Amino acid sequence: MGCAERPDDFATRRARIAAMSDDELHRYFWSLAEKLVAPLIEEARTHTTPSIERSVLLRMGFSSIEAHTLVERMDERGLLAYGSGRLVLELAKDKQISVRAAGTALLAGQYWEDLRR
Amino acid sequence: MKLSADKKIDLRDVLRDLDRYRPKRKGWTWRRKLENHQLGPFVYRNASENLKQSIPLPAAHAFNNIDPQCDFVITTEIASGRFEDDLRRMRMAAWHGADHIMVIRTTGQSHIDGLIEGTPEGVGGVPITRKQIRATRKALDAIEEEVGRPINFHSYVSGLAGPEIAVLFAEEGVNGAHQDPQYNVLYRNINMHRSFVDAAEAKKILADAGILQLDGAHNANATAKQAWKVTPELFVQHAINTAYSRAAGMAPALIALSTVPPTAPPAPKLRLDLPYAVALRELFHGYIFRAQQNTRYAEADTIEATITHVLDTLISRLTSADIQSTITPDEGRNIPWHYNNVAGVNTARQTLMGLDGIMDMIELKKDGPLRRHVRELKERAVLFLEEIVENGGYYGAIEAGQFVDSGFYPERNGDGIARSPDDGDRAGTVIKRRSDYGAPVCSHFGNNIYAEAVNKACSAYGGCTLCDPEKIQYIDELDPEDNVEQRLTMPLAEQAAGVLRPEVEKHGDGIVCVTIFIPATSRLAENAALEIAKKMGLKKAQVISHRLLHPAEGTVFEVKGVLDVAIQIDEIPLSARTEPLADKEIEAWVRPRNIHVIAATVGEDEHSVGIREILDIKHGGIEKYGFQCHFIGTSVALDHVLDEALRVGARVVLISTIVTHSEVHKQHMRKLNELARQRGVRERLILIAGGTQITDELARDCGMDAGFGRGTMGRDVASFVVCKLREAQKA
Repeated sequence: MGCAERPDDFATRRARIAAMSDDELHRYFWSLAEKLVAPLIEEARTHTTPSIERSVLLRMGFSSIEAHTLVERMDERGLLAYGSGRLVLELAKDKQISVRAAGTALLAGQYWEDLRR
Repeated sequence: MKLSADKKIDLRDVLRDLDRYRPKRKGWTWRRKLENHQLGPFVYRNASENLKQSIPLPAAHAFNNIDPQCDFVITTEIASGRFEDDLRRMRMAAWHGADHIMVIRTTGQSHIDGLIEGTPEGVGGVPITRKQIRATRKALDAIEEEVGRPINFHSYVSGLAGPEIAVLFAEEGVNGAHQDPQYNVLYRNINMHRSFVDAAEAKKILADAGILQLDGAHNANATAKQAWKVTPELFVQHAINTAYSRAAGMAPALIALSTVPPTAPPAPKLRLDLPYAVALRELFHGYIFRAQQNTRYAEADTIEATITHVLDTLISRLTSADIQSTITPDEGRNIPWHYNNVAGVNTARQTLMGLDGIMDMIELKKDGPLRRHVRELKERAVLFLEEIVENGGYYGAIEAGQFVDSGFYPERNGDGIARSPDDGDRAGTVIKRRSDYGAPVCSHFGNNIYAEAVNKACSAYGGCTLCDPEKIQYIDELDPEDNVEQRLTMPLAEQAAGVLRPEVEKHGDGIVCVTIFIPATSRLAENAALEIAKKMGLKKAQVISHRLLHPAEGTVFEVKGVLDVAIQIDEIPLSARTEPLADKEIEAWVRPRNIHVIAATVGEDEHSVGIREILDIKHGGIEKYGFQCHFIGTSVALDHVLDEALRVGARVVLISTIVTHSEVHKQHMRKLNELARQRGVRERLILIAGGTQITDELARDCGMDAGFGRGTMGRDVASFVVCKLREAQKA
């Protein structure tokens, strides 16, 4: 499972960084760390997950049980890429009802065909 | 809800009207530090504001009962499985100086893809639900009023439901949280894409709510076979979570590094752990340090664990810390017990008060082996990061098993934890956002059409729950059987009926622990200890610690077992149940009456600390009520005590006596009674004996009117005297 075994070759590997001052070493440490997280944070910026979508609906005033069902049904229909909150809010605007009424209607099986694509 | 020091917390009151309860504050709070804090005879350099009510360290009795508070926040981790039992333990810990209460989650909650509701019982922790945290926050809001210092409530935002739990915490006033996607990946085998995408959202929510984030790097310490060799990797793990948190919008002031000194004696602990602690604080300057104590090597011996924890805390003071976390000394052998949480907290505060001001006098060397090791650790960490970048990034490094390898990097032993980016729990659940993706809520991370709105993202519908808590949907219970109301039926009925049982963890568990030394070879001794425990009436007796003293001469055991014994409160002698009179009432009765008290330490005994505390006004002794006290010295003969009592016309005689092997203390008490009778003054005098091992029962058996033991305050003695004199007046 793990990576290949290797002896402690620190003495040779350190040659490149041995001359750096402590400050330079710290700056280099952080530049490497930032380089490592850049693609990870970019993925987060452009992607979502069922948990994120449920957390959005929680913030819009739905219970955990309601959020769970709504996100599950949206996922089944391949709608999560729009954002669960957006779907509910836009439906509410369309039907001129409250956000909670829109979510409750969806839970009752209504308006699914009206969700914007 | 208001708590009173002489009453148990009313759990029904905690649970009442929870659907409408809102936390009184949000976000993390630090102690208010005081640089030159005068308290009793001392000036403290590393102190914070006093508590309104607390229980001082044991030796404080010799220093006017002062209870200085250190400058670090002190953490205790509490989770028995039943949060209602934990609330009582939190209160006890707060009275001993804990102001960061961390609640461990029940086993397996990390893998639940969604929130749990209600109050089901947990295993090794508590299911984190809205009701449970709201009730806990409500109790802590009352406890912090009682002790006079804000208490930070903390739990975990890891696992599959991170963003939802972060919302829950922000809504309910949780103040601190663990959040580190690496923990999910390495230790929970949750898919790494899912973990990191969820983490950015969770971190954004925590950041906006002012919740302090702790990372999870310390787990590598607890997992690695040779924890001190994993130190270069720990810098890498801290750096990844820190850089990721910054990128998600979290300020350095909310990013805490969870760091553990990695070794324990007999390893040369300070020599290994100090360079690591220094290097960490230099590389991560500007962030918060949560110093944790070592759990890796502690097994059954609580004294051994405590000594390691003292050394851990010493490292915190020699370097720096913002939070000193504590590990209960029994963690290696069982789910922590009530009193071991308090023991852990006391280990930290006793150590820190003892080290107060030390850094005004010493400093760490700026050259020599410390600096060489610090530099080496930093370089090893940099090389580790370089290799991850060269090999294609973080996911690739995880796949290659580069983390939690037992080699001292760059050494590799090939035993790291390897995970594939395509595998793990909930792989394939990350969804690409469309260009018109939207999330009309506050604290949302990433691309979002509502982010550009002129007002808040949630203004189109009057505000999200973070702006308008009225919108929060509260679910009370889902399971009619597995809930707090059901679990409380028996404890509350027993409480109402005045039944008391021993307990270490949960109401009525009946567990007691006895220490037994057996003078025999180890195996024989263990079986003997268990047999003895059975004869003592302990059920399910189990050895939880054994320490070999000599292969042939003996072993000492700690044996736990269930003692199925309940005591009715009304079976306990009345004197032990009555509360002393209030200060005002005592003084109002005593002051106009000019009552003289003769006090002495009798026999061959030079101790006078205890009796001085009972008498002296500055120790809160009985002088303050207006008693005329005459302390006539130590090693005083009993005849002389009575001579003096008669000379000044005393009504009360207090003698202090230590317990001796030959039971001389009993002879003293009996003799005093006898002499008073012979002189015909027994009826006029109230005879009281005191001492650390004296009990009321023992003293009465020896002819005294009362006996007072350890923990007695002047008020107890004064109250007894007033009641007794009132009785005499009536008669």
